[in-house]
Amino acid sequence: MISSVPLNAGRRRVFGSVFSPASLQARPPFESSSELDQTQLASFQSTGSSSTVRTASLASPQQERSPDAPRDREIWEQAWSAATAFLAVPNQGFAPIYDARQTDGSEALKDWNRLSPPSKETADALSYLAATIQQGNTGYGVTAGSKSLIDWYGDEIRRHFLVNLRSGLHELLKTPGKESLLRTIVDCLQLARRIYLAPVVHYLLPLLQAQKQGRVLTQLQRGFHTVVSYSLPWSEISPLLGGELAQDALIILGIDTLLENTAEAEAEDEGGEDEMEVDRQYSVSYADWKNEDSETRAHLMTEGEHDQVTMARDRLLAFLNGLQQVGLGGDKAQKVFASVMNIMMTEFVRAAYTGQWETPSSVPQHLRHWIENVFARLAVQVLAIIHTPHAGGQPSSPLDVSFGDVEKWQEMGVARLGALRTSELFDVIVDWPASSGAVDDLRHFTTHPAARAHVTQSFITILNQRLLHPGASTVEILQLYISIIRAFHLLDPKGVLLDRIARPIRRYLRDRDDTIKVIVSGLLAEPGATSSKTPSYANETLVELSTELSKAHQLSMETNTSELDWDDMNWMPDPVDAAPDYRKSKSSDVIDSLVSLFDSKETFVKELQTLLSDRLLQKREHYDQEISVLELLKVRFGDSALQACEVMLRDISDSGRVDEVIRKDQGLLRPPTRLFNKRPPEPPVPDIHAKILSRFFWPEIQDQDFKIPDEITSLQRRYATGFEALKASRKLTWRNGLGQVLVELQLGDRAFSEEVTTWQATVIHAFHSDHDEGATRTVPNLAEQLEMTPTLVRSACLFWVSKRILTESSRDEFSVLEYLPSDDEDEFGIPGGDGGDADMQSGDASNAAAAAEAAAAAAAKEAAEAAAMEKMNLYWQFIVGMLTNQGAMPLQRIVMMLSIVVPGGFPFSNEELREFLAGMVSRGKLEIVSGGNYKLVH
Amino acid sequence: MDYTMEDTQNSAPETLEATKLSGAGQRGDTQSVTKRLQAELMQLMISPSPGISAFPDADGNLLSWTATITGPTETPYEGLTLKLSFAFPNNYPYSPPTVLFKTPIYHPNVDFSGRICLDILKDKWSAVYNVQSVLLSLQSLLGEPNNASPLNAQAAELWDSDQAEFKKHVLARHRDLDDE
Repeated sequence: MISSVPLNAGRRRVFGSVFSPASLQARPPFESSSELDQTQLASFQSTGSSSTVRTASLASPQQERSPDAPRDREIWEQAWSAATAFLAVPNQGFAPIYDARQTDGSEALKDWNRLSPPSKETADALSYLAATIQQGNTGYGVTAGSKSLIDWYGDEIRRHFLVNLRSGLHELLKTPGKESLLRTIVDCLQLARRIYLAPVVHYLLPLLQAQKQGRVLTQLQRGFHTVVSYSLPWSEISPLLGGELAQDALIILGIDTLLENTAEAEAEDEGGEDEMEVDRQYSVSYADWKNEDSETRAHLMTEGEHDQVTMARDRLLAFLNGLQQVGLGGDKAQKVFASVMNIMMTEFVRAAYTGQWETPSSVPQHLRHWIENVFARLAVQVLAIIHTPHAGGQPSSPLDVSFGDVEKWQEMGVARLGALRTSELFDVIVDWPASSGAVDDLRHFTTHPAARAHVTQSFITILNQRLLHPGASTVEILQLYISIIRAFHLLDPKGVLLDRIARPIRRYLRDRDDTIKVIVSGLLAEPGATSSKTPSYANETLVELSTELSKAHQLSMETNTSELDWDDMNWMPDPVDAAPDYRKSKSSDVIDSLVSLFDSKETFVKELQTLLSDRLLQKREHYDQEISVLELLKVRFGDSALQACEVMLRDISDSGRVDEVIRKDQGLLRPPTRLFNKRPPEPPVPDIHAKILSRFFWPEIQDQDFKIPDEITSLQRRYATGFEALKASRKLTWRNGLGQVLVELQLGDRAFSEEVTTWQATVIHAFHSDHDEGATRTVPNLAEQLEMTPTLVRSACLFWVSKRILTESSRDEFSVLEYLPSDDEDEFGIPGGDGGDADMQSGDASNAAAAAEAAAAAAAKEAAEAAAMEKMNLYWQFIVGMLTNQGAMPLQRIVMMLSIVVPGGFPFSNEELREFLAGMVSRGKLEIVSGGNYKLVH
Repeated sequence: MDYTMEDTQNSAPETLEATKLSGAGQRGDTQSVTKRLQAELMQLMISPSPGISAFPDADGNLLSWTATITGPTETPYEGLTLKLSFAFPNNYPYSPPTVLFKTPIYHPNVDFSGRICLDILKDKWSAVYNVQSVLLSLQSLLGEPNNASPLNAQAAELWDSDQAEFKKHVLARHRDLDDE
């Protein structure tokens, strides 16, 4: 207490010099300051809690009034009451603040009486109290130790806020869907803050030491922040804040222009505004960036910011400033900001790069550039404002964002890009090779196993959804598979990813019946023949394959790398995420991948044989395409596998020579060399050429057997003799159903000459007559005469009807149209004759042609059925063997056994087999015993 | 995206792929045996020989067959249906199949449990033999037993001494195996 004596004395002296005793005495201790006007006084007194505080604070001094300090006490009390009266916040409620939120606030401050300078006495009181604060204790000795003016004012702020503003703010918060609601709130709060702090700042703080000023202000501010965050639940603020941030960030980060641009690009044709030109200087669009040279690129995002962006940035930063001031900033706001930025990055990547698949791709560079210059810039600016107030309220170092952070963001950006590309991957591959840039982008992403697993996994899901279903044609799937092979080869040269992706596709393709057929016909297709059309999709062959075949061949010659090349200095181990049975394959080799789809080469070779035989039996001058394909395939499969095909090709080329020799030997040559002339009207000997096939090496050829005209038969006999003379111990079997015939018909009024099939020629030959009037034949007669199936006969007749050689006089009865009806002469002879009739006629002809085609198809089907029955006979042998050795069996068991033992599987359904067996039962070869078991009849 | 998932995803198709594509090890052997047997069956079906027939059992792996021989004319077995079982080893055709008569048969070279003494089924086996040739050999064995090395000495004796009695024994022993 010794030290306090001089202080007390000093204080009294100071106090005395400032406060005139008279004036102090003139004022009753509990009187309000006379400067306060009547309303303020009223409101002041009506504030119950405030009065309580005051009386409470004064109650203790009254009790402990020590005899030596009544004077001080009184002075202090008077000063206190003057100061609190001055500082007390009028209870005006929320409405005035809300109304004044848009103004600069000075008006409101005046209204609230926050700016009017204190009267002399009040000022004295303030400085007296300030002095007590200054000294560290609270003024009048121990009496008011628990209470300082500042604490009181803090309470006052809290009280006022809770009483007047809180409910108003709550109501504001509840207002649904209000535009920039948070901004309003922040404005209000800022105004409130100014109202609260203005008198302190203006009149109290100057009285304090500089160092103390800060502390006092911080204390008051912290009190304000606490009550604000207490009154406004963060759960309601954060979505609002998120919305505000997102709204401006969209503009600042340039995402809105990107979205607009895409919309604009669509509307460009309708003379869209040249806004693009204005935007040019500052654009985050990838397309713009890409078109610039590297010099400009560097500046594109950093300079010449668009007005709108600047405005948005200023607005956002100002808003955040306010936010921080009213205590809604800090780490909570940072969290919201972070989540918004997170969304923004995804959004940007999506908006900027969707569908940007050009090669070479500089998307990753552009993205990194954007993150560094635009994204990070905003982050730095925002974080500088909504810093966490720690370490005595000092803002932490201005660089909250280190360069490491920016790098991390860039990595995240690339990962987002990867995710985007992964989701686009299917479309990318459909567009291949125009879209290789996208795969480049993806390569930046697939650097670690998890990312690679993600890519493959999601791609397989998409594949299953979009490709591997019955709706997709085999050609499409194969086409895409080829693209996938190429794309993934680029993505991952090691082929591990492809290996993983390819498995489901390959499994699926294996289940498709026509896969081999498509592949083989693709291989045999003429490259370039269909290249003018849209690539390969529309026409049902994969022309690409044949191109690929010749190309891949050259490649395989160049790169002959094997795992056993021990001098390979660039050898790399298999990637860690390779499957256990992963083999470093030449996965990029499309042909190999496709051919290896099947268990054995045999299936493939068999299909190749079938197709080859079809093509070789066509009448053509040369077969270069087939030969070259075969040679290329031999490189892959080895000679032995393709031996049969080889023989087939040789047969064809040999038969040319043999044909010549035989014809010379047998005197079949005729001076007028018209090839394939079987039935000329004048010279009785038609010309015959043959292709000699080695039956053993050719696939089974579907044949329709019938009796050919005698002239031809005799020719064939002579030809066969010649052949047997030439090649002893070999015999010719004629395949009458195959081949072409050049038919020349001499009719009453016209001649006809065309190349047709053998059976068509045979049928028309049967109509041959020397009489002038047209001969008439019926289908059953012809069928009997020619030993041909009626369907085939009818089909041939209809064909001739379509050529207007025959007419169907009544059902199944055809006669030769020796003379065309007169209106036909109009059609052919005099142009502009009876047009309608001619139309009708040609319509008839085309109808007949269609009918002929249908009939031919029916005939072919019949033949196929016959062939199937033929096969069924073989199965009958199996069934007999089965029932002999295993005893009676039910149908199910028979089908099961057949499917096991028959090579290539049993092609008939249960129903078909049941029917067949029923036939056998009725023929007495089988009987059905108890339990539906079939048993052989001995 | 964790690795366990990835693993399962990889392993499932891989086994499938392996069965489809790989041709190594034990499986490969079985496959070649199967192939061979399938070819033999096909041959039997395409060009059946009279009096013999064979077909795989229903167990589905083709390694056990049942065969039927009809007794040749002018032998004591005329008109009888004799069933046999074939069991093919995994290294067929490099080892002979095990052939047993299932139908009880009275024959000098066959014992009462159906075991057959035939040189080509033992030391004279060669990979060029097949089911068909074995069955044909057995068919001829019915008419011309090898009495030098009999499994059934009584039958061998009887064959030489009294054909009529032999045939009686044959018929007495024979029982048609009915379909189960």
